Formats: sequence, structure tokens, C-alpha cells
Amino acid sequence: MGQTAIGVFLVVICTLLEGVGQVFLKKSVLGAVRWYLWISFGVVILLLETVIYSHALRFLDVGAAYAISSLNLISVTFMSRCLLREKVTRTRWIGVCLIFIGVGLVVARA
Amino acid sequence: MQAQQVKISPVLLLKAYGAIKSNWMSVRKKFPIRLAAGLLLAILIDTALQLVWKSAVLSLPDDGSAWLNVQAVLHDPLFVCVIFLMACQFFNWLMILRDADLSYAQPVTSLSYISVFCLSVLYLKEAVDLIQIAGIIIVLAGVWFISQTDHVTQSKEHEA
Repeated sequence: MGQTAIGVFLVVICTLLEGVGQVFLKKSVLGAVRWYLWISFGVVILLLETVIYSHALRFLDVGAAYAISSLNLISVTFMSRCLLREKVTRTRWIGVCLIFIGVGLVVARA
Repeated sequence: MQAQQVKISPVLLLKAYGAIKSNWMSVRKKFPIRLAAGLLLAILIDTALQLVWKSAVLSLPDDGSAWLNVQAVLHDPLFVCVIFLMACQFFNWLMILRDADLSYAQPVTSLSYISVFCLSVLYLKEAVDLIQIAGIIIVLAGVWFISQTDHVTQSKEHEA
């Protein structure tokens, strides 16, 4: 039981890192002055995420890990709205939520 | 039965051509081909990556020692393959982000969940149940909703 909790915790950290890392990558192509810094930090964060994720797979089923990491969608959408000021319309939120639910249904039993 | 005579005047043809062209241009503007190709490539690479990654992680020695894992990674062709795919994915992803919002591109690429699922069903003969089919339909509906939104946020400094 403790093992599962650790796995879930690690995967949730991964979804947060994914959001931040993706925002950094997007920043780098938006014409920022120090684009190479954004891209390097983005890559470091995403690599860190990969390491943590592959570690989490030792505590969790692949199916469960996939299901939790579909939270990536929500995390990335939320962060691109708040940090990048992207226009996330209601239609887009509906799409994101539908995909989140759908992916959950597809992978939960894997 | 009398054959109907259809008069095709050059003017009409020209008008039809104009209409088709402007319609096509508006589709292109809404959803540029480069972006579409990039998203498709991203989904394909992601699918391959997930399948290879899965088998690579399963092939690691089970004792959990970090140093043994590093050695295994360096010698395992699967991991070299993973790294190559990740590099491709990364550069393709940057190209996509140039053309589209992060909150547009990210959900669309989750179509790879569906392709991974379909491949596992086809090749690994995993069982399918109704809930998963419903899930696939819901994901497709979600991607349709996303595709109805503008793929890039219009802002002054971005336009300039």
C-alpha cells in the first residue's frame, strides 16, 4: 500500500514537471531574448521528469501510471493559460476534459 | 428519355474555381498543412516511443541497483532507439509549438493513447471491453472540440 502511494506521488510530481517543462519549451519558440536558457531549463525539467517517471513504474502498474499521467493534459492546459496567457476558450476546455475522461477510461484497465 | 443539357460557361467555371480556392485557403488558414503533418508525426513517434519504452523498461534487471541500470541502458539497443525517438520527437515538437498554442497541440497529441491501445489490441491480443470503446469515442469527440478552436492565440507582439 505504501508502495502504491509513493508511485502515485511520483507520477503526480511528473505531471507538474511536465506542465512547467512544456511552458519553458513554448517560451523558447515565442521569440524570447534568452531562448536558449528557456530551452535548456525545459529539457532539464523534462529529463528529470523521465527519470522520476521510470522510477515510479517500479511502484505502480503501467496502466495506473498512464491513467494518472493523463492529468498532464489538465496541468499543461492550466499552465499555458496562466503562465503563457493563451486563450483557452470554453470549447477548448470541453475538449480537454473529454480527452482526459476518455483517456482515463481507455487506460485504466490496461 | 431526354438527356439534360447542362451549359457550362467559362464564367461559371471560373466562379466555381474561385469559390473552391477561397474555401481551401480558409481551411488552410484554420489548419495549416505543416501543423497537421507535424501533429501526425508527433502522434506516430509518440506511439512508437511508448511501445519501445514499455519493452525497454521491462527488460531492465530487477534488483533496482542504479549503477546496474546505467550499464544496462548503455548496452541495450532498445534504449538507444528510445533516445533517438525522443530526439526526433523533441525537434518535431518545437516545430509544432512554433505554429500552435501549447494548449492546442498537447491535447491533440493524446490521440497517441488511442493508437497505442489499438496496437496493443492488434498485436498483443489484449482484450477490449465496451468501456474502452466508449473512452476512445470520448477522446475523439474531445479532439474534435479542440480542432474547432483557433490553433494559435492572436496577440499583437506575436503578430509583429
